[in-house]
Amino acid sequence: MSLRLVRIDDRLIHGQVVAGWLRALGAQRIVIVDDAAARDEFLREVLSLAAPSGVPVEVLDVAGGAARCIDLATSQEPVIVLARSPRTVLALRQAGVPIEVVDLGGLGAGPGRRRLHRTISVSSDELAELRELEQLGTRVEIRIVADDRPIALRSVDPAR
Amino acid sequence: MRTFRIVIAGHGTLPAALLSTTELICGPVADAAAVALEPTESPDHYAESLRDAIGHDGRRVLVLCDLLGGTPFNVASAIARRSPRVVCVSGASLAIAVEAALADGDLDDALVERLLEVGRSGIVETERHRARRAS
Repeated sequence: MSLRLVRIDDRLIHGQVVAGWLRALGAQRIVIVDDAAARDEFLREVLSLAAPSGVPVEVLDVAGGAARCIDLATSQEPVIVLARSPRTVLALRQAGVPIEVVDLGGLGAGPGRRRLHRTISVSSDELAELRELEQLGTRVEIRIVADDRPIALRSVDPAR
Repeated sequence: MRTFRIVIAGHGTLPAALLSTTELICGPVADAAAVALEPTESPDHYAESLRDAIGHDGRRVLVLCDLLGGTPFNVASAIARRSPRVVCVSGASLAIAVEAALADGDLDDALVERLLEVGRSGIVETERHRARRAS
């Protein structure tokens, strides 16, 4: 078994996630893997306030998150795993977390960032990390809301 | 007289529409602002706009948010957790906005409870509502 969906979104929990993705996946649990948030009690609390009642939010660092995700991948429980950056997801993958699909859900624009599609922009490092994920057998797709048709990274990758 | 400021925080055109519709029902709403989150706006940028609307004069502010877990709510509740003069309510509706606009006095616990109750009791389905009214 592998995790059905890991979403990369620099906002972590927000409207598209709570109103769309939780329902689409039938998920009753949110796992956030983020070193900075895991260290910050205030941020952890704000993140847990963002989820609907009855949906627990776990905020873990990469090491703890990898162990938890490996656990969740073998269970049948539908969860949504959120990370802020491709680097975190690559670290999970390298730590042995089986991930079928990585969803690029939100990566903001900024200096030195190239726009791939609508609200998805990447730095050259992030693009390299996403390509590495694909080499490790994880599909990388852009899908901002659950109703979107997934767009393969390959089809928007400027190098191809 | 209402002593606190009202800020409506939400996605797209909803905040401005909720404020203008509230004014349609209760007339001009003084000391109120609508802060829209645009589709490409970053949470940090939105936080700045929201802080500006909340103001820096130390007065109490009620922030009405459209969606639990949405960015406007997340940003507002982070501000509210750090600043006791700010109260953040999610699930804003016209009923709640009107109640807040017409409130008299301070933004105290009793008013916050009343706003939540007005919001909850305004959610009905006609048949179930009718059955309950008849019994």
